Amino acid sequence: MRLAGKRAFVTGGRQGIGRGIVEAFRSEGAAVTTCGRGDRPEGLEQSIIWYELDVTDPMAVQDLAIVTDGTDILVNNAGVQVEKTVADSTDADWDAVIGTNCRGVFNMCRAFIPLMPKGSSIINIGSISGNHADPSMALYNASKAFVHGLTRSIAVDHGPDIRCNAICPGWINTGMLEAGFDLAGDPDLARTDALRRHPMRRFGQPADIAAMAVWLASDEAGFASGQMFTVDGGMTAASPLNPGLF
Amino acid sequence: MKLEGKTAFVTGGRGGIGRAIVARFLAEGATVYAADLTPEGSLAAHDDDGSRFVQMNVADEPAVMAAMERVQAEAGKLDILVNAAGIEIEKTIEETTLDEWNRSFAVNCTGTFLTSKYALPLMRAAAKSGTSASIINFGSYDGFIADPGLAAYCATKGAVHALTRAMACDHGPEGIRVNAICPGYIDTPMLQSFFDGDGSGGGGQNIEQLQQAVRDVHPMRTYGTPQDIANLVNWLASDEARYASGQLWVLDGGLSAQVQQMRL
Repeated sequence: MRLAGKRAFVTGGRQGIGRGIVEAFRSEGAAVTTCGRGDRPEGLEQSIIWYELDVTDPMAVQDLAIVTDGTDILVNNAGVQVEKTVADSTDADWDAVIGTNCRGVFNMCRAFIPLMPKGSSIINIGSISGNHADPSMALYNASKAFVHGLTRSIAVDHGPDIRCNAICPGWINTGMLEAGFDLAGDPDLARTDALRRHPMRRFGQPADIAAMAVWLASDEAGFASGQMFTVDGGMTAASPLNPGLF
Repeated sequence: MKLEGKTAFVTGGRGGIGRAIVARFLAEGATVYAADLTPEGSLAAHDDDGSRFVQMNVADEPAVMAAMERVQAEAGKLDILVNAAGIEIEKTIEETTLDEWNRSFAVNCTGTFLTSKYALPLMRAAAKSGTSASIINFGSYDGFIADPGLAAYCATKGAVHALTRAMACDHGPEGIRVNAICPGYIDTPMLQSFFDGDGSGGGGQNIEQLQQAVRDVHPMRTYGTPQDIANLVNWLASDEARYASGQLWVLDGGLSAQVQQMRL
């Protein structure tokens, strides 16, 4: 029980990576609070506290932070993606992606940092897309680079008291990944090609990301701060120029 | 006990960081081979730590082959290889002799190459049992951004980073994960010799003042300990990290997250 006695707050815990982190934290003994837009999801363990929260709303975030009365582990996981180039993106797309992925993380950190005791850990969910561009994901790529930059800033500014790191997941089996394949002309071919670009020959699972989150949240990671931790089955270690796929 | 039933081989296993890794692996239930030039390594005293000692120069091909033959005979497989043996020469390239340059590459790069090369057949045997095998190389944050007066060292670590990615691509399909840990300033005999010596890190009369200044540049306001490194090595070695491969894991107390600090 590596997180016994710790209080964790995870945004976007309804499904996918967020749900995986919520469940891993709980099984490691943390008291877990999570949130999302809408009602409590089905099957969420009773001891896990659920709040309906839109992280883009700074007042709502501020009010909730006060109610929670202190947090040792903050995971900013809530995120949205829009599959468009810059030229195709609308103002509404900008508000949706930047509002959740950038402003949402900022809202949460600003509200929670003053309430986090010495030794606390903030874990932001960045992305390999923040380092290398995924095609037709312009606002999403940019929003994740923002998360990486904010992560370093928090680590430097609040360093002695709070550690702050980001996890950069690769392609994880969630609804978001399937939505990406559905955009391809031949979704099956796209899936096969994507698998061959992974040295581990599979996509990630939410539990793979949750395992890293547990470590970063634990006291074992007491000297880890200001870094991006990529967990992608080796994908970004390989050059995208792969003659074997031509 | 995350590593129960696993066999591990740690080069530089009697050095500052290596000892902490060996101790952690033993505590997690692994059978551990600790290889080093001498039983003492870079530390003065040696206590029997429960590991199986292998006297070996990582750059000596027959010695590496003999070591892996021993592991084959005794354990039949190898789940975890940690290439922690390393040296640093505190000089610019003008000051560095060809012999020093060659020695840096022999230990830091050729050693990683040879040990991995002869460990791979044993690691394939481990991967076939169902869980992935894990190689953990030692890069450095110096492989990304240079510390002054450590030219050959920075170059060897950059080479280790590239080798790590290459090995991850080549051997991932065989179930072998390859990662590198990139430590920043860790409190080891190597760091103390960096401060005490007359090379680039030499503090002269003001060693404590220099050390404090270096600590103050870190967002965490301290160096790391060998145990901090062993914590991440342990995670990468374990099955929890089964999807982690091909990455360079920086552990430096936030040091390299920041741009050069202006003195205001």
